[in-house]
Amino acid sequence: VPIFDSKSPNASNLKISRMDKTCGTVMGGDEIFLLCDKVQKDDIDIRFYEEDDCGWEAYGDFSPTDVHKQYAIVFKTPQYHSTEIDRPVTVFLQLKRRKGGDCSEPKQYTYVPQVLDKEEVHRKRQK
Amino acid sequence: NAIYDKKATTTSELKINRLNVDRGPCTGKTEIYLLCDKVQKDDIEIIFSLGKWEAKAEFAQTDVHRQIAIVFKSPPYQEQNIDEEVEVKVFLRRLSDHMDSEPVSFTYEPQNPDPYEVNRK
Repeated sequence: VPIFDSKSPNASNLKISRMDKTCGTVMGGDEIFLLCDKVQKDDIDIRFYEEDDCGWEAYGDFSPTDVHKQYAIVFKTPQYHSTEIDRPVTVFLQLKRRKGGDCSEPKQYTYVPQVLDKEEVHRKRQK
Repeated sequence: NAIYDKKATTTSELKINRLNVDRGPCTGKTEIYLLCDKVQKDDIEIIFSLGKWEAKAEFAQTDVHRQIAIVFKSPPYQEQNIDEEVEVKVFLRRLSDHMDSEPVSFTYEPQNPDPYEVNRK
């Protein structure tokens, strides 16, 4: 009979509690503070994904030292698959263990178009 | 013989590791995420200070996440009519023994840097 230790990070459920931002540039690279339930710094990924047919996914950028005391992660957003979007696009992100592959419930994240590009396009069109 | 428990949150050293933002308007209410060493949610304050001025940041016990992070709002600066940015100190204070952490800096910005665009003319 297996004995499950509810305090072991492997047995506990993954959960995102709070994030300081839920939107950012389509280019990625926005720094986000994420508060979560217990994780292991060398066995956790932050997976961004879409649930459409393309099945796009990309991973948040951080090192083990960005995992703070097992309960917070500071990471940078990945670039969206297309940087030429005209309107905001909402995707999902979740915590995912590398070993085992189990995931947290997702949170929403919105990629916004690059404003500068839009203005440039507008200026070019006016010429 | 006294036995000191290094891990006891009632006596351990207070430390701020990281803030997600280090500037905001002098009116306060900037939401800030602070990562720290273990604290007790009912025994901790976040103090903004410059010289003799001190103000407490606003947060509830439920804003203390697993003892290692606090989500709070900056207090308003003492003076609302500032023309230039003001750098103040932010530190943790334990209520029970009045211990303070090492400070980190936070910059208050004027509400409206140049309302009449005087500098442009």
